[in-house]
Amino acid sequence: MDDIDAMFSDLLGEMDLLTQSLGQETVPPAPLPSTENEANFSIGFTDLNESLHELEDNDLDALMADLVADLNATEEKLAAEIEGLKVPPSDQTLPPPPTDLSSRPASSCLIIVCVTVCPADKIKLALEKLKEAKVKKLVVKVLMNDGCSKTLMVDERQNVREVLDNMFEKTHCDCNVDWSLCETNPELQLERTFEDHENLVEPLLAWTRDSENKILFQERGEKYEVFKNPQNFYLWKKDKKALKDIKDKDKEILIQENFCGTSIIVPDLEGVLYLKEDGKKSWKQRLFQLRASGIYYVPKGKTKSSRDLVCFVQFDNVNVYYGKDFKGKYKAPTDFCFVLKHPQIQKESQYIKYLCSDDAWSMNLWVTGIRIAKYGASLYENFKTAEKKAAVSAVWTNRSTPSSSNPSTPSPTIKGSTTRNLLIFILHSILQDFGNVPPPPPPPLGDILPPPPPDPTLPPPPPPLAAKSSFKRQLPSNFPPPPSAMDNLPPPPPPPPMDDSLEAPPDFLPPPPPAAAASFGGMDLPPPPPDPGFLPPPPPPSQPAFTGAGAPPPPPPPPPPPPGPAATPRIAVRPAGSLKKVPPAPPKRTTPALHGGGGGGGGGGGGGGDFMSELMRAMQKKRPDQ
Amino acid sequence: MAAWDLSVTVEDLGSDALPVTVSVTSDLHVGGVILKLVEKTQIKRDWSDHALWWEQKQQWLLRTAWTLEKYGVHADARLLFMPQHKPLKLGLPNGITLRLRASFSCPAFQTVIGICRILNIRHPEELSLLRPVEEKKKKKDKDLAQDIYDLTEVPLSSVSQSCLYNGMPAHFVGSPQMEAIYKMLSVTQPPPAPEVIAKQYRPASVVDKAHINGRWLDSSRCLMQQGIQENDRLWLRFKYFAFYDIEPKYDVVRLTQLYEQARWAILLEDIDCTEEEMMLFGALQYHISKVAQSEPQMLSTNAAMDDLDSALQSLEVKMVGESSSASELLENMTAPELNDYLKIFRPKRLTLKGYKQYWFKFQDTSISYFKSKEESIGEPIQQINLKGCEVAPDINVAAQKFLIRLLIPAPEGMNEVYLRCENEQQYAQWMAACRLASKGKSLADSSFQSEIQSIRSFLAMQKTNSHGNAPASDESINTHSLVSPRYHKKYKPKQLTPRILDAYQNVAQLSLTDAVMRFLQIWQALPDFGLSYVVVRFKGSRKDEVLGIAPNRLIRIDLGVGDVVKTWRYNNMKQWNVNWDIRQVAIEFEGNVNIAFSCVTADCKIVHEFIGGYIFMSTRSREKSDTLNAELFHKLTGGHEAL
Repeated sequence: MDDIDAMFSDLLGEMDLLTQSLGQETVPPAPLPSTENEANFSIGFTDLNESLHELEDNDLDALMADLVADLNATEEKLAAEIEGLKVPPSDQTLPPPPTDLSSRPASSCLIIVCVTVCPADKIKLALEKLKEAKVKKLVVKVLMNDGCSKTLMVDERQNVREVLDNMFEKTHCDCNVDWSLCETNPELQLERTFEDHENLVEPLLAWTRDSENKILFQERGEKYEVFKNPQNFYLWKKDKKALKDIKDKDKEILIQENFCGTSIIVPDLEGVLYLKEDGKKSWKQRLFQLRASGIYYVPKGKTKSSRDLVCFVQFDNVNVYYGKDFKGKYKAPTDFCFVLKHPQIQKESQYIKYLCSDDAWSMNLWVTGIRIAKYGASLYENFKTAEKKAAVSAVWTNRSTPSSSNPSTPSPTIKGSTTRNLLIFILHSILQDFGNVPPPPPPPLGDILPPPPPDPTLPPPPPPLAAKSSFKRQLPSNFPPPPSAMDNLPPPPPPPPMDDSLEAPPDFLPPPPPAAAASFGGMDLPPPPPDPGFLPPPPPPSQPAFTGAGAPPPPPPPPPPPPGPAATPRIAVRPAGSLKKVPPAPPKRTTPALHGGGGGGGGGGGGGGDFMSELMRAMQKKRPDQ
Repeated sequence: MAAWDLSVTVEDLGSDALPVTVSVTSDLHVGGVILKLVEKTQIKRDWSDHALWWEQKQQWLLRTAWTLEKYGVHADARLLFMPQHKPLKLGLPNGITLRLRASFSCPAFQTVIGICRILNIRHPEELSLLRPVEEKKKKKDKDLAQDIYDLTEVPLSSVSQSCLYNGMPAHFVGSPQMEAIYKMLSVTQPPPAPEVIAKQYRPASVVDKAHINGRWLDSSRCLMQQGIQENDRLWLRFKYFAFYDIEPKYDVVRLTQLYEQARWAILLEDIDCTEEEMMLFGALQYHISKVAQSEPQMLSTNAAMDDLDSALQSLEVKMVGESSSASELLENMTAPELNDYLKIFRPKRLTLKGYKQYWFKFQDTSISYFKSKEESIGEPIQQINLKGCEVAPDINVAAQKFLIRLLIPAPEGMNEVYLRCENEQQYAQWMAACRLASKGKSLADSSFQSEIQSIRSFLAMQKTNSHGNAPASDESINTHSLVSPRYHKKYKPKQLTPRILDAYQNVAQLSLTDAVMRFLQIWQALPDFGLSYVVVRFKGSRKDEVLGIAPNRLIRIDLGVGDVVKTWRYNNMKQWNVNWDIRQVAIEFEGNVNIAFSCVTADCKIVHEFIGGYIFMSTRSREKSDTLNAELFHKLTGGHEAL
């Protein structure tokens, strides 16, 4: 696992570099989003094709042609080299992921076969695999308090709890119940902790392609505060001293009463809050009331009786977020602001509701109250699960090593930097994607790179069928190769491996030459790199191979050729690309001993420096771990 | 010992008959008196339920081994010999009156237990009997209709809770009448006509609400002692709002009656709620009555399969049946779609105000549109994914206006889009599709058809409602039947329909049991839930205030402002005492907090019982055994009259 993670994170690093460079040079994100508004409300995966068209139509053919040419040229050279290399270690490092990943591509082969040959009974099997293949996966970069990050793959069926458990394994933290995944939105200056029962992938898909949102792994005391000190929420009107002295037994009773009955009871909150008026800069005071059914306010001149209350918002379609520094941004009366908005809204909008309370204490009261109203029993379930987890790990740490002070020291500063941290691409797509994703590695001239960053949003996993049809358009060129190729030959491509010797992971990521990577970032093709498992994808020669084989294990032989192209371009291109555009990138990369290629770049350490060094550090840290 | 004559009125001889005189001595025990009495009347029947009632002392002579001397009975005593169980007219929470035999001789608490056993309601300690609010004597015809439900013939001995036949307790099985009664008990009533709601007494203030609580019977004394006569009317109601261990499987009657009580509390504004909540309650009532009619037994249907599963399965079936070609198979895999000409309008772009017609295609959770049908193979002009969007109807059947208003989330905010349909049929389909899509479900979802159905029936409602007061019959429910009279004035049924429909979409897929449970949950989540009010005067205060008694706390409400002034929780309570002479309740809380008050609208025994009762309710969870600890209940609620 660790290896793979390392690979991923490296890979990501690379992606980041590339995207960053793109961001700097091309007229970055702006164009994209705008085209999108019009065209898709659904940034989701459904319209891969559409977005592809938008992005690539023009360039694609040219790119393809170039690519193919390149490939052919290099193929032969490399093939020879690779044969020679046959690096065994890499094989070992690969194992875990490949198994499951590889089966996927296989399944898609299967389908194709079925269609033509059609043994009816296999269809069901095929469908199941298809279903499996349809699962969206994201590679997510999670920032930690110490500034480094972990990268992991999240599949759409996983909830936040499972992801947290993963993080626990990776970080060896103390696993206490406060550990949370948080989402930040720098543009709106918002953040919220994900609830443990939520699926992680879904909210991430709402991020825009140029999003600067991040995911943080942090201890958040307020997450389960209500279960630790229920009196502060349910008896908040009492004086503070009494609340402090409350007995454990009484706390328990409170939890029983409010969370264990037939109905979840929402703390009865009522108070004056400031409300930012639609589209205006002013904040008006209103008397608000929290009820299980929503937030209400008392209209001017009316009583507080329930029937006179006016509904301000109901919780079905909104999430609650903490606002950061709204005093500065919106001239809020205080910095204790919270916001209610539809999770898909990512930018300023009249549909975002801004509220401001007098102090941190009442803000927490409201935010927690809203969460109880919205999530009800799940919150308590989550807490119990988290508690169990914490208890188990406590036992463990006590037993094994008292030195549990590992990484968990929280330091609120997250230097994460401006990169896009998460995103990523969808692995889900398989063969078809390759096929259909015309875009692949527009290897050639880095300068053209049209689309900016790799976007989670885009990656649309084309529905298998659709994929097939659209497939034809671009297919001719056969390109699937580059990426697949890389993976395909487990043996890390030629040159780099040598340096690294056994260090498998690093080798992997480097794969895509900057230019190539960048362009596919746009496309989302990227998938290949992350999972080594991909191997099967029939390299160029593929066609015949796979129909014939149909079965899981992709024909091993063909691989050799492809690697060549990938590898060479990498070396060749990188320096060029990096020199021009991403000065910082190359230098750092060298350190990690990735591939010699990186060395080419001078120490131009420019803009991206921060981030880069950050990244480097992270990588280095990781190594020792392993 | 000297013999003397004791005259006893034997009820069974008729009211005109003279008292029967028996010759007794003071050391004769009560059993002996009864024996003599029975011999003298020369009537052969089962006398086992009969006992002596001493009228002047308002006391039953139930201990047959006690002598007359011990009881203090002398020759001047007026004794009545009569059955301990007498018929009672019992008003149920669902508004229906039932005749049944109840014990007039044991404490009301035990009487309720007996009644609940007959009715098959578990946890009888949560219920109690209430003297009804006097009805205005206008309606004479009412009683005629109501007395059809008669359970007086049920032999008391045969009532056993545990065994069910055909899902009914044994004593309900056998005759169609009995089965009808059980159905009445266990199935929710159709929504009442709006006029019925309007005619009922509605409390207008907290003080009004307080008055009802002065009517609870004393649970430690028997019905005879409380002046209840044979065939009097009493109400059976849930008194303690701490419902323990609700289990839909065994609690069919309990749940139904609880739902009815809650529903009436909402309709009569016995408990306040907001307009949004009222609409949701309305939607749930509509759904419950609809489902109850179609599935008379409480069956909970399982949640729908998710679409992919069902798609897979149907595919499988297809494959097995006819080994069709692969391409056909693949076609089956594609989800169903809707295709039609609709008109679209996007208010945001103020350029053109009109609706423009396009060829629309609904697939999966997205809408795409094209210039025309012919061009629908190519690229759509636009594709809109509806997942997570808000869908609202904007319709007017009379004007043939069928608009679907969509608020579609995007990173920049919500986009407003209107779709205009030509007719009902089209509207129902597209609306249903939009609704499902907003929840992330595709047209393949099994709920699609039922969603269409419910939209249609709401449309039908709008049509018929123009005339207002049609009696509530199946498909056409007057929406005024679902909300409190306040909203009758505020909205016409026509305006109410879309609002209820709006709330309805979130509950339409619930099974009957789930819907009832949801209703109860929302009711229980209301801020004022579980509060029983009593007007009291606190010691040292010169004005009346209201004491609210909740399952976990007492609250003090200022009558002038209506605000909660103070809250005391039971778990901080050290002790409470009642001074029966000055009728004052004194309570001591931890931290040296003492309060004392006298009760204005209810006897202090009632307040005492409420507090003790709730404390009793909270002890239940700790006891594992299912048997009711009646002794503890009496200890906590009995006061000085307790043994």
